[in-house]
Amino acid sequence: MDNTSLLNSSLTQTMDYAAPILFAALGGVMSENAGVFNIALEGIMRFAAFFGVWGAYISGTPWIGLLWGIGIGIVIGSLHAYITVKWAGDQIVSGVAINVMSMGIITYLLELIFKTTGYSPPVPYFGSSVNRIHIVFIENIPFLGAFSNLTILVWFAIILTVLMHFMLYRTVFGLRIRSVGENPYAAETLGINVVRIKWFAVIMGSIFAAFGGMALSLGTLSSFTNAMANGKGFIGLAAMIFGKWTPFGAMAASLLFASAQVIQLLLQVAASGFAKLIPLGFYLALPYILTIGALIGVVGRAVPPAADGEPYKKE
Amino acid sequence: MKALEVKNITKRFPGILANDHINLSINKSEIYSIVGENGAGKSTLMKIIYGLYTQTSGEIYVFGEKVKINNSNDAIKLKIGMVHQEFMLIPRFSVTENIVLGQEPKRGIFFDRKTAVKEIKEISDRYGLKVDPLEKVENLPVGIQQRVEILKVLRRGAEILIFDEPTAVLTPEEAEDLFKTLSFLRDSGKTIIFISHKLKEVMAISDRIAVLRRGKLQGVVYKEKTNKQELARMMVGRDVVLEIPAALVKRGDTITSVRNLTVKNNRGIVGLKDVSFDVHSGEILGIAGVEGNGQAELIDALIGFTKPVSGSISLSGEKVKSINPHNMRERGMAYIPEDRKRRGLILPFRIKDNMIMGQHNKKPFSRNGILNDMEIDSFAEKKIEEFDVRPRDIYAKAANLSGGTQQKVLLARELSIWHNFILAAQPTRGLDIGAMEFVYKMLIEEKKRGIAVLLVSLELSEIMGLADRILVLYEGEIIGEKKPGETSEEDLGLMMLGLKKKEKVV
Ligand SMILES: Nc1ncnc2c1ncn2[C@@H]1O[C@H](COP(=O)(O)OP(=O)(O)OP(=O)(O)O)[C@@H](O)[C@H]1O
Ligand SMILES: [Mg+2]
Repeated sequence: MDNTSLLNSSLTQTMDYAAPILFAALGGVMSENAGVFNIALEGIMRFAAFFGVWGAYISGTPWIGLLWGIGIGIVIGSLHAYITVKWAGDQIVSGVAINVMSMGIITYLLELIFKTTGYSPPVPYFGSSVNRIHIVFIENIPFLGAFSNLTILVWFAIILTVLMHFMLYRTVFGLRIRSVGENPYAAETLGINVVRIKWFAVIMGSIFAAFGGMALSLGTLSSFTNAMANGKGFIGLAAMIFGKWTPFGAMAASLLFASAQVIQLLLQVAASGFAKLIPLGFYLALPYILTIGALIGVVGRAVPPAADGEPYKKE
Repeated sequence: MKALEVKNITKRFPGILANDHINLSINKSEIYSIVGENGAGKSTLMKIIYGLYTQTSGEIYVFGEKVKINNSNDAIKLKIGMVHQEFMLIPRFSVTENIVLGQEPKRGIFFDRKTAVKEIKEISDRYGLKVDPLEKVENLPVGIQQRVEILKVLRRGAEILIFDEPTAVLTPEEAEDLFKTLSFLRDSGKTIIFISHKLKEVMAISDRIAVLRRGKLQGVVYKEKTNKQELARMMVGRDVVLEIPAALVKRGDTITSVRNLTVKNNRGIVGLKDVSFDVHSGEILGIAGVEGNGQAELIDALIGFTKPVSGSISLSGEKVKSINPHNMRERGMAYIPEDRKRRGLILPFRIKDNMIMGQHNKKPFSRNGILNDMEIDSFAEKKIEEFDVRPRDIYAKAANLSGGTQQKVLLARELSIWHNFILAAQPTRGLDIGAMEFVYKMLIEEKKRGIAVLLVSLELSEIMGLADRILVLYEGEIIGEKKPGETSEEDLGLMMLGLKKKEKVV
């Protein structure tokens, strides 16, 4: 492989890794700008990763899988909203419950549907070379070439980031969402329907996280494994914080975290001499160590929406 | 023409009748004040009119028509606006965004910022309320934030404007500006309902004044036909001593001394520069100054919230090595904070819990880490009698008490902990005259007992009446020391504005 194609394929791989994190982070940005913590992102990703595969398995096309994944995102998002918005329940408890539930239910469903423990059979997926979006004429250009061979999900993550930015900072609706996250009582006295906006934001955020799950099982891989998600939802939350609760910030952070993952792979391959003595576990932990390091560096300055995580109770 | 009439309004909360058959009739283009003790039911009545509470019974008429107000949206539609006691602003949004939120000018789905900014400039010009439309609200002083609130209400076409204790958070200068605005609004046809505990203000700007006491309307008087004494008597039901009796006490040893104290505030700016003073046993030392001239930094350093950049603090005659709240309190400091809701009390806790905080880990309130409820209850019962806390219910949540009652709970706690020095930061902020009188009496009692008191206040009359010596803070420095007998409010006022040069410095 020549240098250009090594560079480009590493970048493509970085974006592949970044997409699930970015989707989760955007889900968090959406939900937390309206003042609702959603640590269930991890569980939602796992649910959607599984349901996406299931849908693709039954129909033979990843597109139907995509719809199934969105569907389960809506269902779980509604559950989280029902608990935290409708009943002003504790947002962390609800999130933890959904994460734990995702483990049990999916293990059960795997056995029920695929008669397997811990993994599904392969299904048609967006990452297969027929399904990738090829842009032939930029293939050999350094950097730009990285975009010549992406999955539709990666493109969607990029587009979604831009759309979210405009929605949050340019539209009336975005202004209202942010006002609800900053001071729901002020928003209410101005005639804004706080409860409706929170419902919307939680469900939309959950759908984004569902895309994140499918970016794993229908994007980079072509099947579901029980180890899927593997903390990506939480890294997504870290990316959201690192990115100061903004879409572009989240994107930059996701790319940073993903590049750590790719560097880790490259290092493992290239390791020689002394580096060979470093245990494999260290390389695997590297992205997470970097995540923690990045957060320590930024956390003092990152300010969440003022009413983030506070249950909203009307008089 | 009648702008607003309420007929037989009654509001019952569990265990308390907050409004008891109240009848008011307010004319268009008048400034109508409502006064009354803490807990008299003023805010409750206003919240009913603004749709935040629903009355238990009674009727409301707006411009002659009977109305039902179920939420603040209904109120806004009826052209009623309210400037809340606690501002309803979003600090991180710009002035413009705060004002237009909920009724934004738009182009398609997009927020039309340009038109919004233009519109804000227009109304701010029309009413003479100067604001910078693009500035973030968090960067604005309180007085300007209030202007933003007023503009918000005006932009929504309010004809009846309710101001619930708007001056409690303002400096005297900001309050003057507000009064000009209120008069201007009245003259341009708006109706103003104004609530304040400061009778001087009420006498200065009102057309008529209604007095509430314990939920009942005591009477409505014309400004010209009344005076402060009469209003105070109507409010409290007895004669109130507005003049503070001088207490002559021989001043004793130095209890607290501050040397060359320099403090940075949380924005990293030096707010207090090289300040030194002593407070003696049996003495009240007053700190006067316009808000924002170093008071907050001084208080934070004294109680140990911020570590000074340089300088030292000695308590009980001993230099404090490591400055933090625990050490300050161990050495005899009692603290009456200006913001009792945030620094003084834990609002979701009950009265009894708040009463023992700080002593909760000491005998007899706890033993081996287990709280002793019986001891706590009997202590709290004793204290609510002693300090006349109403309601007499040690299980009542601090959040549901009126401001004056909260202050009493706080005083009861602070004064029952061993101390020889009191740091009193605006101890009467938001209090009615009855409660104010109570606080003054307490401070004087403490002084007679030989306690050293540092009184930081924005109210000159308070400082002139209570303090034995007065230090004036200006831009973080002490620019003068006076004895109340040797100076006047005007003289101090000039010093506070930095118009008089440095005089004698301790
Ligand atoms: N939400 C509530 N629940 C229970 N009791 C309440 C509530 N709001 C007010 N009260 C009680 O109703 C009474 C009237 O309170 P209100 O706040 O109207 O007094 P206020 O005249 O505005 O006093 P202040 O001058 O201290 O602001 C008080 O005894 C208060 O404790
Ligand atoms: Mg009130």
